[in-house]
Amino acid sequence: MPKLKLLGGQVVLHVVLLSVSLFMILPFIWMLSTSFKPQEEVFARPPIFVSPNMSLDGYRYVVEYGVLRALWNTFFVSFLATVGSLFFCSLGGYGFAKYRFPGRKVLFAFLLGTMVIPGAVTMVPTYIVMLKLHWVDTYWPLIVPGAANAFGIFFMRQYISTISDELIDAARIDGCSDFATFWRVILPICTPGLITLGLIFFMNSWNDYLGPLIYVKTPEKFTLPLLMTSLQGPPGYSAYREWMGVAVISTVPLLAIFLIFQRRFTEGITAGAVRG
Amino acid sequence: MSRDVAVIPSVGDRWKRLWGEIVKNRWAYVFISPFYILFLVFGLFPVLFSIYLSFQQWNGFGPMELVGLKNFAYVVGEGGKVFWKSILNGVLLFFMYVPLMTFLSIVLAVVLNSKLVRFFQGYRTMIYAPRVTSMVAAGFTFRLMFEAQGGLFNLILAYLGLPEVPWLEHVWWARVALCVLVVWGWLGQNMVYMLAGLQTIPRELTEAALIDGASPVQALFRITIPLLRPVIIFAVILSTMGSFGLFPEVQTLTWGGRPMRATLTTLVYLFNVAFDDYRFGRASALAYVYFALIFVLSLVQVRYFGSEE
Amino acid sequence: MKRQIVSWFTLGVILVGLLAACARPTPETVEVEVPVEVTRVVAGTPETVVITATPEPAAPEPEKPSGKITIWGWTAAIRDTLEATDVFEDFKEAYPDVEVEIVYYSPDDVYTNLPLAITAGEGAPDICYVENSHVAEYVHMGGLLNVTEHLQPYLDNIVEYKLYDCEKDGKYYCVPWDGGPVVMYYRRDVFEAAGLPTDPDEVSETIATWDDYYEACRTIKEQTGSYCFAHNKANNWGRLYEMVLWQQGLGYYDPQTGDVSVDSPENVATLEKLGLFWGEDLVSDSLEWTDPWYEELGSLDQPIATLIEASWMDVFLKSWIAPGTAGKWGVAYMPTFEEDGVRASNDGGSVFVIPEQTQNPEAAWAFLEFAMLKNEEYVLKGLAISGFIPSLKSTYDDALFLSTDSFFGGQNTYQIYADVNGEIPRAGIYGPHYAMMNGAVSVAIQRYATGEATAEVALQAAADEIRANLE
Repeated sequence: MPKLKLLGGQVVLHVVLLSVSLFMILPFIWMLSTSFKPQEEVFARPPIFVSPNMSLDGYRYVVEYGVLRALWNTFFVSFLATVGSLFFCSLGGYGFAKYRFPGRKVLFAFLLGTMVIPGAVTMVPTYIVMLKLHWVDTYWPLIVPGAANAFGIFFMRQYISTISDELIDAARIDGCSDFATFWRVILPICTPGLITLGLIFFMNSWNDYLGPLIYVKTPEKFTLPLLMTSLQGPPGYSAYREWMGVAVISTVPLLAIFLIFQRRFTEGITAGAVRG
Repeated sequence: MSRDVAVIPSVGDRWKRLWGEIVKNRWAYVFISPFYILFLVFGLFPVLFSIYLSFQQWNGFGPMELVGLKNFAYVVGEGGKVFWKSILNGVLLFFMYVPLMTFLSIVLAVVLNSKLVRFFQGYRTMIYAPRVTSMVAAGFTFRLMFEAQGGLFNLILAYLGLPEVPWLEHVWWARVALCVLVVWGWLGQNMVYMLAGLQTIPRELTEAALIDGASPVQALFRITIPLLRPVIIFAVILSTMGSFGLFPEVQTLTWGGRPMRATLTTLVYLFNVAFDDYRFGRASALAYVYFALIFVLSLVQVRYFGSEE
Repeated sequence: MKRQIVSWFTLGVILVGLLAACARPTPETVEVEVPVEVTRVVAGTPETVVITATPEPAAPEPEKPSGKITIWGWTAAIRDTLEATDVFEDFKEAYPDVEVEIVYYSPDDVYTNLPLAITAGEGAPDICYVENSHVAEYVHMGGLLNVTEHLQPYLDNIVEYKLYDCEKDGKYYCVPWDGGPVVMYYRRDVFEAAGLPTDPDEVSETIATWDDYYEACRTIKEQTGSYCFAHNKANNWGRLYEMVLWQQGLGYYDPQTGDVSVDSPENVATLEKLGLFWGEDLVSDSLEWTDPWYEELGSLDQPIATLIEASWMDVFLKSWIAPGTAGKWGVAYMPTFEEDGVRASNDGGSVFVIPEQTQNPEAAWAFLEFAMLKNEEYVLKGLAISGFIPSLKSTYDDALFLSTDSFFGGQNTYQIYADVNGEIPRAGIYGPHYAMMNGAVSVAIQRYATGEATAEVALQAAADEIRANLE
């Protein structure tokens, strides 16, 4: 330990950490910077970070193209998916955590086992199911299947199992039904865990590309990732700054949320796993 | 004086008791049912239907045609060459970035965990930030940065006096570029896993070793890493599935596998077979072979890493 | 007195007879040749050209179609071209009860959404704009309306090769619009500097075969340092290779038998011929539709010498790729592969299809007939505005095909396009499996070009893959 306190050691560590951090941040900077650059400057030598010809034209084009609607769509879908998943996962987690019912162990093991199946296997037949349900080109496929998912239930189960049983008993004595107990007693206590899990769900939904790619077809319903890949400028024009504009718009909200709730992101994801 | 006769519950009694338990806990069943219902519809049924489909030839539209094992023959025959190439790519990519990324995430986690460095929260934030970015946005950005003529990475190389690289035009450099993107996106997440794992290792162990004269590096390799084994296995298995399942990264960075399919991952290939070629039967068969491979691979990894005690 | 009466009477009869003879008969149909002036884009300075088209009066239909129809298409084709011809307004006048809705999609979206709608059984438009390269896939997938009977009266007037992709079991499933006759665009200034002829006829004669082309390219490289044409290696899309195969009547498959011919000796030889140009560094590495490619075409000091491409390239060059090079280009016939071969090939071209799901097939057909078949006016305007060469042979008689183009040094380019269009042979390039075949062969070309494999090996691998895929 004393060795590490040497200034030299500190410097080395800082250098390493700084380099890594810089590598992590650089694409964000470049993304932002390029979103303001005219086409000729994107590959300029030496690289231009702050463009002398900075303009909002890229953003204007992108707004005309429909990015605000895509932004709303993305938010709408992510929000619904998150709220829905939080509800069903906490409900399921409560069921597994606080009830000693026959078959509990087997059913839970089964639940964990389903996490092994890669999405690729169900990709095609799920699509066919959605075709039959007439859910193609709607948002339902992005919200419903994941509503009660194994990871979420696992996480909430861990979390809820730390809640003292006495609280639940007290509620029962007061005459609360099972569901009311869940709604009025458990959920409020779980708020921190719900926020953590909710952030994960929200982020995954926001950034999901494969799902919308398979199921969303009409341009008006596009989410941000789809808009980005479908974006084209007028012929002959390489829409670099427009791409970056959409990239910025899709990144900033999540980054903001991340910066506010940092702790929850970095600590929360593993909280469930570690505690178990 | 009456003697207590040992009461042996009869079978009927057992059933009654069981039923009583079930009824008493009926709400639990209600609460956990959504998962099973959804799984039935969107999990089990598709999995079973997929098996059925893999023996058919179907374009999603007209009639289905039962073709027996033809789709599987395709996989092991001529047509499977592209599929196996994608598997090979997955393996290559795995070795190209997973060891490096895992090791780096451990090192970073140890450094940040030791809390010796000030602003460690700031560093942790910056390193984790890419994780919240959409890989589509990142893919586009990196594509610009990897542009052979005037992309940022080449400009940096030139500035450092190094030769510029035809990143996305050359088979191996394209793979490297993909790895760079993936590491950028996932290093933070892996570091967080390691950080969590480190919480379970008592500080005293490493401290004792250091006091006994071990160097920090030795402590890292002899104590920390072995104790992190479960987390490492967990992270590596996730990365394994990840390297075969890279999707938006490939679509945006290398236009879906260029050059010459060098960066084609299995998931992208499956997607193409299903939704570009409209060969649902073949895609199902391919998906099952893929699933089997991943499953075996994961088992092997758990066995191999787990058994080294 | 009697003699006077007879002579007056005779004079009267003669006069009446003359009057009767001179009077015009009341016409049943009014045929009016209306010269139409259309603005054609030439490097920013609009040039006006004249189209003499005969608008057909809308024949009174016993029962006019009505209702709403939806058209899916790209902005370049529908908004910038079709709409600019005023066809939608005119159609509205002729068929006031039909409402037309247009939905613009990018090409990728069309090719995703159309098959999706067909397979889902719902959501398809009434009319969809599709390229020739893709239409065969949809024809064979099923779900398109059989228009053979409607098309019958026009069949003789349609250039043959356009219908190959639309046909299945003797029935037709599309209405053709424009074609993709391939020519050789060349830079007069580069040719001059290299000591080559610049007059189009002379160029066509001098560069008659691909061997001549090879020699000319070497000369150009030696004398001017310019590259001959663009042919990317690592990301090659295979389009040029397809054009050269097409002109020989070859292809990915044999059009008569359907057998995969990707690895045939002729196909290999063709690729190796293209390989000569790579071998001697006669071609640039720019990839089509990227910035370096645009730069070469538009450059004044570092230009590319030639471009073998279809006629629709014409307007792109003029309007946004190389407007600054007006007057420096010429159009010659593409070289043939062997002596006395065909100097015509195809790249691109488009059609309209009507999905079977349509609720309003009569209105959909009415529109397509009006815009593409009955009235020459609109397809001619399409040519003037965007370079879409019509598939109707009768249009080639129009005055438009006598006009000259200052961008091409005052040459009559439309005539060449029309000539080539009529000569395009049947080849096995497009077809129901075009996308898959092009994908496999592109990889083979890339492998060959980057030196990873010989042409034979690379094409063999591609052929095996394709054959396995087709089973």
